[in-house]
Amino acid sequence: MGIAYTSLDTTKLSTAEVYAHTLCEIAQTDPRIVTLTADLAKSTKIGVFQEHFPDRFVNLGIAEQNMFGIAAGMAACGLIPFTCTFAIFNSCRALDQVHTDICYQNLNVKMIASHAGTSFGQAGSTHHATEDIAIMRTMANLVVLVPADGQEAAAAVRAAIEHQGPVYIRINRGFDQVVYPQGNEDFQIGKANLLKDGSDLCFIACGSAVFSALQAARELEAEGIKARVLDMHSIKPLDKEAIKRAVHDTRRIITAEDHTVVGGLGGAVAEVIAESGMGCAFRRLGIQDTFSPIGYHEDLMSIHGIDTNGLITAAREALKMDFEEDDDWADEV
Amino acid sequence: MMDDAMYASQLFLYAVIPLMNEIGEQYGYFRGKSGVVQLSVNLPDGVEGLHFVLEDGAVTTVLGLHERPDVSLHFARQQHFNDFFLGKTKKMPKIQGFGKPGLLIATFRTLLKMASLLAAKTPPADEATKELVVRLYLYLLSRGISRLNRLGHPSVREWATKSPDRVYAWRVEGHPDTAAYLRVKAGKSKAARGLYTRSQPFFTMRFADLDSALSILLQTGDFLTLTAEKRLILEGAPEFGAKIGDFMQLVGSYIQG
Amino acid sequence: MQLSREKLITLENKAHELRRSIVDTVYHAGSGHLGGALSMIDAVTLLYYHRMNIDRANPDWPERDRFIMSKGHAGIGFVSVLADLGYLNREDLKTFNLTGSKLGIHLDATKVPGVDASTGSLGHGLSIALGMAIAAQMMGKEYITYCLLGDGECNEGAVWEAAMAIGSRRQSNLITMVDRNHAMLDGNTEDVMKLEPFQDKWTAFGFHTVTVNGHDFAAIDRAIGEALARRDQPSCIILDTVKGAGVDFAAGDYRWHYGAINEELSAKAYDSLERYHQERVAALEGA
Repeated sequence: MGIAYTSLDTTKLSTAEVYAHTLCEIAQTDPRIVTLTADLAKSTKIGVFQEHFPDRFVNLGIAEQNMFGIAAGMAACGLIPFTCTFAIFNSCRALDQVHTDICYQNLNVKMIASHAGTSFGQAGSTHHATEDIAIMRTMANLVVLVPADGQEAAAAVRAAIEHQGPVYIRINRGFDQVVYPQGNEDFQIGKANLLKDGSDLCFIACGSAVFSALQAARELEAEGIKARVLDMHSIKPLDKEAIKRAVHDTRRIITAEDHTVVGGLGGAVAEVIAESGMGCAFRRLGIQDTFSPIGYHEDLMSIHGIDTNGLITAAREALKMDFEEDDDWADEV
Repeated sequence: MMDDAMYASQLFLYAVIPLMNEIGEQYGYFRGKSGVVQLSVNLPDGVEGLHFVLEDGAVTTVLGLHERPDVSLHFARQQHFNDFFLGKTKKMPKIQGFGKPGLLIATFRTLLKMASLLAAKTPPADEATKELVVRLYLYLLSRGISRLNRLGHPSVREWATKSPDRVYAWRVEGHPDTAAYLRVKAGKSKAARGLYTRSQPFFTMRFADLDSALSILLQTGDFLTLTAEKRLILEGAPEFGAKIGDFMQLVGSYIQG
Repeated sequence: MQLSREKLITLENKAHELRRSIVDTVYHAGSGHLGGALSMIDAVTLLYYHRMNIDRANPDWPERDRFIMSKGHAGIGFVSVLADLGYLNREDLKTFNLTGSKLGIHLDATKVPGVDASTGSLGHGLSIALGMAIAAQMMGKEYITYCLLGDGECNEGAVWEAAMAIGSRRQSNLITMVDRNHAMLDGNTEDVMKLEPFQDKWTAFGFHTVTVNGHDFAAIDRAIGEALARRDQPSCIILDTVKGAGVDFAAGDYRWHYGAINEELSAKAYDSLERYHQERVAALEGA
């Protein structure tokens, strides 16, 4: 019963392949789709595209700034390039190119930023992307999408192609908990998905925190707490109406993101709430302005309080309720 | 630090022997019977055991020793106890209970049946037996890992100590009763039967069918092959799956010798 | 195919007009990157008035040859070309740098027709040019992409990422040119950050590299011709130039990387340009 995974095996089990297959599907009838990577074809799963369309795939080696400049040049000539690299490099290392070559010139480049948040936990802070949502949403002309799972990422890819202009799609390393097993037909840029309705409080989450929110809501329901869950996959443009409705209906908002609490989803929602003039209890869950330690993604989410239990605890605090600890720890025989 | 013999004894006591409950029920060996059946062993720190309380066929498993069991199988030496459950010897322990022959025979039949089911190298032929064997193994493994944690087995205890409140589950598609789970939180653990329904478990090892499960549990199948064929699906990150797989193997290594 | 004497003189006449226009634009703007605009204008004249396949009626013609002026701060020079081609009004040049104008130090590709990329942040242009060249390859198109870099600009690491990729891919439908005027903002290039052996660096990255007199149309044209014919290796043409060439008080002086031109200096500049032009025509006629 020995289980040994090689990195090759895990690539076969990844949910991130869904988006890559979607891209291949679309590319069959749309010759404008091309892809680029900076020596991360295997890790970002875009290698799937390379297998099917080797002439429409370019590997620039470990040179991210060059890659984004090239993507800009391609888009200027009418192609729709998809760049694929880790979110940290997309948002930090190559930011000048993203800002000046792509956003300023409003070019049709679609950026797949993978291994976002602390999802590449073992790699440490050099590979964590915990500031990218904040950075990217300040770029004018840029659409910022943070899908919750593989299926939603595929929907985001479709939406990105239909949108004219640059798009930033932030995904994890591929082992996402499934939120949309049947896919997400209702995916719209600028519209949050209402996953669960409720009036006691509202979780507004994106990316890997969406699953936590959904699970937390289900457990809270058993305790009689009805939590609303909004999958705010579209950070920019933000679904301001959904936020204002949640503030009005629930009066308690908890944001959750695998990202710093400074300036990301939490910051964006806070801006809307503050400008709305409506009062509510408000809490941002995420990484509390620190660099993250090394660890498995699931463990890091727990440490940062954005796993299911973290959200449940935050919800209870928001409602100021105490619950009995489960004291029975004997094995069932 | 415990030695391997002690871990083995503890697992036989608390992960294997309790399975007699399920077996007795499945085959009706205890039907209509009443009384107390106890199994015990001399361990370095004292006598440990468990007993089954039967009331007209209904069986309750209780950990610990009963004052006056009707049937008692007592192993005076730990080595004998281990060898017996490893299948290395058929020599019987000290038996009391000839005064209740029906109960005694039922106990032996159950023990023999358990031995044959768990020692099988090939899967059983019929559906019902397959289902039972898978269920037995799932209960055995979940209780086994939990027991190793309680005993302070270094690798298991380390993992449990660091764990936030999480549930690890095993299940077979199409067989909702053929399931077990393990809840772990900050050093504490709890094995339980059936599906965890309160929320989605943190990690689930899901078998496509009974044959797939048996393939893994009886070690006739290859883990990676079954995963590639989608007969074994890991819901949750593979690192945690690998951990659980290691612990399953650990339990197996103690009880199989 | 060698350029005829007539053609050379025609080019020199055009270049002269453009040089005057550059001085004029800087004067109206109050100040500008005069030195780098004057050093590159001969090469740009040759490209736009002899080599490049463009449509004067349609700056966005999809089959056009592309020109990426990676040294984006030379925009004040490039706009004279764009006005002459009819992509801009002559009058627009007088609004350079003024509030609300579509023309500023670094040209905006979304606002100015004929500009293929919004350069200005140095080091980006070669990557963008490479993207366009790869796009041509993928779409089966014949257009050539030219990229003009500054020499100081080659301090930027991003330039060498692009160079490495161009060499690795043998991207021969992209022609790289460097305006080697030996000076940058804070001083001469070799005093601020040594580039030499400059030609060797490009060669090491896989380019067929030549250095030519950046003010000799015939020499530049020969180099371009050879580059276009060479399909198995990308080319880099290092244009050995004089910063501020043609304006005697600015020529060769790194301080005229960016400077102010008033009425008096403007008159002096025109005089200098006239003499410079006459000398060059005489040389061409005599040759």
